[in-house]
Amino acid sequence: MAHMPAKAGWSRTTLTFAGFLALPVALFAVFFLYPIVSTFYLSLHDWDGVAQNMRFIGLRNYWVLSAQPRFYHAVLNNISWLVFMLLGPTALGLLLAAVLDRGLRGERAFRIIFFLPFTIPAVAVAAIWRWVYEPSNGLLTTLMRNVGLGEFAQNWLGDPGVVNFALMGAVLWWTTGFAFLVFFAGLRNIPVELLEAARIEGATPWQSFWRVSFPLLWPSTIIVLGISAIDAMRLFDIVWATTSGGPAYASEVLATQMYDVAFGRFEMGRASAISVYLLLIAGVVIMPYIAYMSRRVADSEAD
Amino acid sequence: MSAQTINRRGPVPYTVAIVFALVFVAPLVLAILTSLKSPAEITRVLSVPTELYWQNYATAFERMGRSLLNSILITAPAVVLSIAIGCVAAYPLAFMHGRGGRFTYFVLLTGMLVPFQIVQIPLFFLIRSIGLYDTIGGLWLVHTAYAIPFCTFFMRNFFSSVPRSMYEAARIDGCSAASYFWRLLLPASASGLSALAIIQSRAIWNDLLFGMTLTSSDNARPATVAIAGFASSLQVEYGPLMAATLVSTVPVMLAFLIFQKSFVRGLLGGSGK
Repeated sequence: MAHMPAKAGWSRTTLTFAGFLALPVALFAVFFLYPIVSTFYLSLHDWDGVAQNMRFIGLRNYWVLSAQPRFYHAVLNNISWLVFMLLGPTALGLLLAAVLDRGLRGERAFRIIFFLPFTIPAVAVAAIWRWVYEPSNGLLTTLMRNVGLGEFAQNWLGDPGVVNFALMGAVLWWTTGFAFLVFFAGLRNIPVELLEAARIEGATPWQSFWRVSFPLLWPSTIIVLGISAIDAMRLFDIVWATTSGGPAYASEVLATQMYDVAFGRFEMGRASAISVYLLLIAGVVIMPYIAYMSRRVADSEAD
Repeated sequence: MSAQTINRRGPVPYTVAIVFALVFVAPLVLAILTSLKSPAEITRVLSVPTELYWQNYATAFERMGRSLLNSILITAPAVVLSIAIGCVAAYPLAFMHGRGGRFTYFVLLTGMLVPFQIVQIPLFFLIRSIGLYDTIGGLWLVHTAYAIPFCTFFMRNFFSSVPRSMYEAARIDGCSAASYFWRLLLPASASGLSALAIIQSRAIWNDLLFGMTLTSSDNARPATVAIAGFASSLQVEYGPLMAATLVSTVPVMLAFLIFQKSFVRGLLGGSGK
């Protein structure tokens, strides 16, 4: 703060800054803090969303949920989605970025193709993939028949044992473009001299990728992993629009279950309890990331 | 450019790139072909339509009704507002020293871990009680408010990549904190702003959840909600559905294709530090 001319100037700056922060903080309070507190309050009640009075029932909603196989199934699905989102699109995006970074002819066209699906709305992805997975005339089944693998074709979205993998396939197609682009941009940022040096010392392309490029990609990696974890916890649109959580709740995640319980069955208290569980899980998974990112701020200020 | 000079190109990278490109393009080609087929041809998935059946698009537009216009009316102002609020929050947080700023930043960032589904019930009652249920204005407000954590995070990173010496020099020359923001910082952040504009256009145009919870009629229903309703009817007609789907993907896809360069540059500005 040495450059600040006088104490008066400092306090005017502080006032300006406080003025800038007032509206965002107020909106944050109204749209984040209030609804979270309110959700917690609702979760302690039995309420259909219409009646004048809600009945206080303490923690019963939490008890009931923790004894329901349907609830556990959704929790497990969320966890598999988290693992998948962290690994699947990240690995494929990195592979495609590394391949394109070798200066292929038509690089621009490849780049657009890999990225395009990411721009599509979830409902459009759902509509397209429902048609791809259509069991009798869909693209996937037809292709498999044509190459003689017809007997392995499944009722992709109708079989509880298959549906989650089918959805993950659609999501891989949908979100890989983001990881790809971030990694691609990151690779372009790596100084040529470092790669030159590695080559001169006799490193193979494979070695120089893992020993030189990949560690330097850390800023890209951390962004991709963070966004993937957040998306996995928020997963809703694609599941809702493709299967609505079916068949028989097989593809349900906590967010779709909560929506069904709240706006399909009008059990607002029970649905709120699902929300609180989801928030707790999201907190455990994502809080380390947030803490890391805001610590990085402190580091960059020290520079 | 970096790696070209170093790695020898072999057939393997081309094979990988081409195979994945085919897989990535196939569903889109399928959607385009299907949208142009008559009902009689639709089950022949791999065939090319014998004649272009534009009727699917007419049906799609008819069924989507006002929702496409609603999506435009919702998205354009909400993108501007959400970026504005992100910048306004990010500026002090990028330049304030000390605990207050850091704590505020941390609190706003925690908003990123909140899955938006969990606020839907109180939000529904809140928006209804202030008379904004099923209005476009209500969706502006909601999209702006829920963009705060990400937009703040993004612009905060970008602003801190603008050299600090610029800020200090301007302040010594007598520039106030507010006029530095308007006259120097924002113009210097054009690539970050356009990258964020694209990210936000995608997020808001593609939103299904808030549209489902907060609209109930053609007054404000966005295209995504209309398509979801259209797709969940018992007898799905894939011709018109694919037509509607493709129409809904065009705006954001075009935006990305046109602004691709500044998008990549903006991402790097934020993450390349």
